[in-house]
Amino acid sequence: MVSAKPARQQLAVDWQSCDGHGLCAEILPELIHLDEWHFPVVERAVPRNLERLARAAVVACPKLALKINKT
Amino acid sequence: MSGVRIAAGQDAQVWVHDGPRLLADLDHGPGLAVHRRRSAERRPWPASGAQLAELLEAIDLRGRGGAAFPLSRKVRTALKSRGRPIVVVNAAEGEPASSKDSALMMVKPHLVLDGAQLVALGIGSDTIHVVVPGERPAVQKAVRAALAERADADRVPMTLHVAECRFVAGESSAVLELLAGRPNLPVTTSRPSAISGLGGRPTVLSNAETYAQAAVLARDGVDTYCSLGTHAEPGTRLLTIDGDGERPTVLEVPHGTRLAPLLAAADADADSGLLLGGYHGTWLPPEAVVDLTVSATAMLDAGAAIGAGVMLPLRAGTCPVRRTAVVVGYLAGESANRCGPCKFGLPALAHALRDLAIGAVRSSERVVQLMDAVERRGACHHPDGTTRSIRSLLRAFPLEVDAHLSGSCLAAATVAVPAGAW
Repeated sequence: MVSAKPARQQLAVDWQSCDGHGLCAEILPELIHLDEWHFPVVERAVPRNLERLARAAVVACPKLALKINKT
Repeated sequence: MSGVRIAAGQDAQVWVHDGPRLLADLDHGPGLAVHRRRSAERRPWPASGAQLAELLEAIDLRGRGGAAFPLSRKVRTALKSRGRPIVVVNAAEGEPASSKDSALMMVKPHLVLDGAQLVALGIGSDTIHVVVPGERPAVQKAVRAALAERADADRVPMTLHVAECRFVAGESSAVLELLAGRPNLPVTTSRPSAISGLGGRPTVLSNAETYAQAAVLARDGVDTYCSLGTHAEPGTRLLTIDGDGERPTVLEVPHGTRLAPLLAAADADADSGLLLGGYHGTWLPPEAVVDLTVSATAMLDAGAAIGAGVMLPLRAGTCPVRRTAVVVGYLAGESANRCGPCKFGLPALAHALRDLAIGAVRSSERVVQLMDAVERRGACHHPDGTTRSIRSLLRAFPLEVDAHLSGSCLAAATVAVPAGAW
């Protein structure tokens, strides 16, 4: 489910902070899955209908390693 | 060809050939007095930072550490950013295959330090940091001596810093971390250092050779500077050529010079290919090297990047597949182990490539899968540089790779990598 309007937010991982806890992928499986070492593989552009979930994923990260950049 | 033999390598003597500018008059030695006599006729340096940026732009001086970012843009950005600018001379040269900055700091340190002073004065900086490699004590000693010689004369104080002994220590964000008193490792940066670098101040960080080129520009003026090289790429460039250990060589050549004769002068040949740009570089097959010239654009056209000017030619009878596996094994061990995909992915990739090289697998699928898994997923470009060499291996040497996948090797000599090889 991708909304038609262009994304105005981008997800970014601060790689040296990320410890691979994986909560982001639990909350936002539409955009984030985990690689074989349990580190996030992120679809950067956030469709508008997923902005709330993206924010929840950012807040949930125990290492504050997931960020949203406004475009 | 005349030159000097010095301990500029990580564990090897390096031959430094006389060159037209940066490496001119090597027999005069590195001392300040003789350097001052030679540059006594120096032209007045531009009074304003804007004029400085214009001059640097006129010769299109780009960073010689690998990223090739225009120095004029760093200067302009620093000038319009908030805070007193800082200048950083990066001679950390963590890559074992590169020795050109170390050699330059040993044979002509005052050219580099002059350049740093000129840039610092132009942008109103009150601080210059000079960073030298941890694993090359001869360079530390030479730069310490050079700084002591000129301490009274310099208008902007310069401080020496020794980088840690590791490949990624010279990465620009890692250098800034070192200067900030933190571990000398790459970090994620959100803003360019010329806007907000060390302590939030605008920081112009560039490679040692870049500053030496700026000093030559100041001494000779734009027209004379542009009398060597090509119209599109004026001036000269330092190269490190290391053809399997016998004679690692640093030399300075005008842009546009043919590469093949230079390899021969360094007692090397690229009969089995060339890893261009160092361990993070691009493999070219032998036929692509024949007419190649020393030029960033010519090398881009060949699908490669000149990087920091490291040329690793592979002699007839040696195998690029095995060699890449050795290099990637080294690079995996050089991960800072901070970013997950690099920490876990590079050792896995090195393992997969080794399996390919020893004929233990019948497909390169796992190697490709792991490259996809590590690229663009770290604070620095260490994973990306590592996969660049592997991707170019697969592209440049399809027959050689296929041979390994069927358990054989096309190289005549399938012995292990020779002692002293890069």
